[in-house]
Amino acid sequence: MKRKSLSACLLVLSLLLLGTVGIGASGSQEKDVASEKGGPIEITFWSLFTGGDGEFFDAMVDEFNRTHDDIVMTTDTVKFDNYYTKLTTALTSQNAPDVVVIHRSKLLNYVPSGTLYPLDDVLKSVNAPMDDFIPAALEPCTFDGKIYSLPLDVHALIMYYNKDLFRQAGIDKVPVTYEEFVATAKKVQDKTGAMGAAIDNTTATYKAYTLTRLFMSFMEQQGGSVLTEDLSAADFNNEMGEKALQALVDMVHKYGITESGLDYDSSVAAFKLGKAAIHINGVWATGSFEKQEGLDFAAVPLPAMLGKPAAWSGSHTLAIPAKKEMSNEKLAAAVEFMLWMTERGDLWAKAGHIPIRKSVSDNPNFQSLPHRKDYAAAAASSFAAPRTVAWDEIYNNLSDSLELAVASGQDVKTALAEMEKMVNSIIASY
Amino acid sequence: MAIPGNKDTRDGVLFSLPFVLIYLFLLVFPIIFGLCISFYKWDILSSRKFIGLGNYISLFKDKTFYTSLWHTFQFVFMTTPILMVAGFLMALFVNSKSLLRGAGENIFFIPYVLSITVIGTLWAWLFQKNYGLFNQLFMLLGHAKVGWLTDPQKAMWSVSAATIWWTAGFNMILFSAGMKQISAEVYESARIDGAGYFRILKDITIPLLRPTIVLCLLLQIIASFKVFGQVFVMTGGGPYGKTRVLIQYIYENGFTYFKMGYSSAMAYVLFLLIMVISVVYYKIMGRDK
Repeated sequence: MKRKSLSACLLVLSLLLLGTVGIGASGSQEKDVASEKGGPIEITFWSLFTGGDGEFFDAMVDEFNRTHDDIVMTTDTVKFDNYYTKLTTALTSQNAPDVVVIHRSKLLNYVPSGTLYPLDDVLKSVNAPMDDFIPAALEPCTFDGKIYSLPLDVHALIMYYNKDLFRQAGIDKVPVTYEEFVATAKKVQDKTGAMGAAIDNTTATYKAYTLTRLFMSFMEQQGGSVLTEDLSAADFNNEMGEKALQALVDMVHKYGITESGLDYDSSVAAFKLGKAAIHINGVWATGSFEKQEGLDFAAVPLPAMLGKPAAWSGSHTLAIPAKKEMSNEKLAAAVEFMLWMTERGDLWAKAGHIPIRKSVSDNPNFQSLPHRKDYAAAAASSFAAPRTVAWDEIYNNLSDSLELAVASGQDVKTALAEMEKMVNSIIASY
Repeated sequence: MAIPGNKDTRDGVLFSLPFVLIYLFLLVFPIIFGLCISFYKWDILSSRKFIGLGNYISLFKDKTFYTSLWHTFQFVFMTTPILMVAGFLMALFVNSKSLLRGAGENIFFIPYVLSITVIGTLWAWLFQKNYGLFNQLFMLLGHAKVGWLTDPQKAMWSVSAATIWWTAGFNMILFSAGMKQISAEVYESARIDGAGYFRILKDITIPLLRPTIVLCLLLQIIASFKVFGQVFVMTGGGPYGKTRVLIQYIYENGFTYFKMGYSSAMAYVLFLLIMVISVVYYKIMGRDK
């Protein structure tokens, strides 16, 4: 008898063990049902903002919850490195939260497979002020005439400079051309001993993406692009590419205005501590530089060093995963949250991001923030990453190759030929 | 022999059922599934497309596959011998009569308890070129900065150093357990015969520890082949892919570029490689036993 009850116990235990897997998977659905039975509608969200902008984002969510009685937004912070892995698997297993953040350059990985909900109908039903969005920001979220996500911001590559160091070196003009940029950096370096230009050029805990972003910007500034218009091949193995890469290599090897082997954290730290005159990075660094006491800096759009103004940019966009069951109320609530977030771009701009709604740019709350309007113009001349599913792999490999070229002072023709071969074979593999 | 009235078979099945089910669900199924998808082109979200041996063929033409595999081998060669010797010396120390042996055991083993993210982040900070502790000390002593993690000649060594600090304690436990099994009488009689410390070490401890050494080395080689976390956290595979190991390349293809089929194909090649090495090693070591 005793043994029988023991084995029964074991059986129950093993069933329970197996059961947890199923329960875990169905948990979110149960919550959905509960919220529809009355009380505020609960929307779930994963935030990938773990850098300096995370606290600003959380503050916005708090503000949203404070001002909305009928909707409760709950967020879960996910480490950025794993975000897309987690998101993709969650989308396949229908476990994704109600609203997700997707970078503009990543949309193409999700839209064609039907994993995102087309928003046009919902937007129309809530009379969303679509005219208020900057068309250049909204256009990349549109596929075959349908809007799949709402842009939250534009984050472009900009130039920061230390006003104190400029003053000490007797410089009163912000450099515009490549020659002026080099001369300025060199002059500050010689007169103050600080690093001329802190531009990360090696991978440490973070990949040297600034190099890639600069290379792309330099191509665009000359009227070129890294890929051909039909996105079927590399388009940098030419005179423009040579000029762009040579400009990057020369900064380290010919002019010595930045050190070789500088990683992202060091370049940010050097500028933050007032040990570097110029720093090139995305707008997202602004918020944390402002918190640094004794740092007197300015931020301007990336100079048109090799021709016309152009700067690499990214964009965070908000989308709704296409789930099997999602009530209309819930959809409307999710869209309301998304619209509210874009409407309060002035709060998001505190982190450094550039708002994408015209009404926000004119808003005194935004206007009164320091630095932002100095570089807000960067949005106008910014360009997006090529729209191909192969982009991630190209971007990462391009970054490695550029790093090698800059670190070893490689001959640019050889480097570009190798890079072209690599990029073309990546495109062929998709 | 079954005792009459006892239902050994039934109870046996019942007791092993939870494990077997979980084993089938979480291990056997993924292994077979992985093999299947290595013949497909699949990005998880869209439907699968059968391409036969396509992934395996492009793998053998992929330069990054070879460099990543080579970096994995480098890591195995850099860490395995040092980890074996270090583990053995630590075990000797904690089995000695030293007063510090208890403290030593804890100090040697504690790093192993920490997660790879903690270890990786900690050592990445220590090794950081401009602001890391090591270089700050170097500069105080008048040396130039060293690019521990950003110089391609040194990056893999730095990762290895962190790994050795992290995992040597595990080998110590294995060796230590093996040493404790050698009976005290053998040592006693050796000592009566007048054998010194090194004579005992060479002719008694090491020969009698042979099974443990064989096992430990095998586990170590397999573990080193599977290196990923340290590299991923400390160098991200850089500078310019010079420390990218095979598992990292598998991870990138699978979970960053979502080439699941290609990623599985590479994982299977690595699996076969580890299996061949293990079997050959075991055959050689087991032969003269």
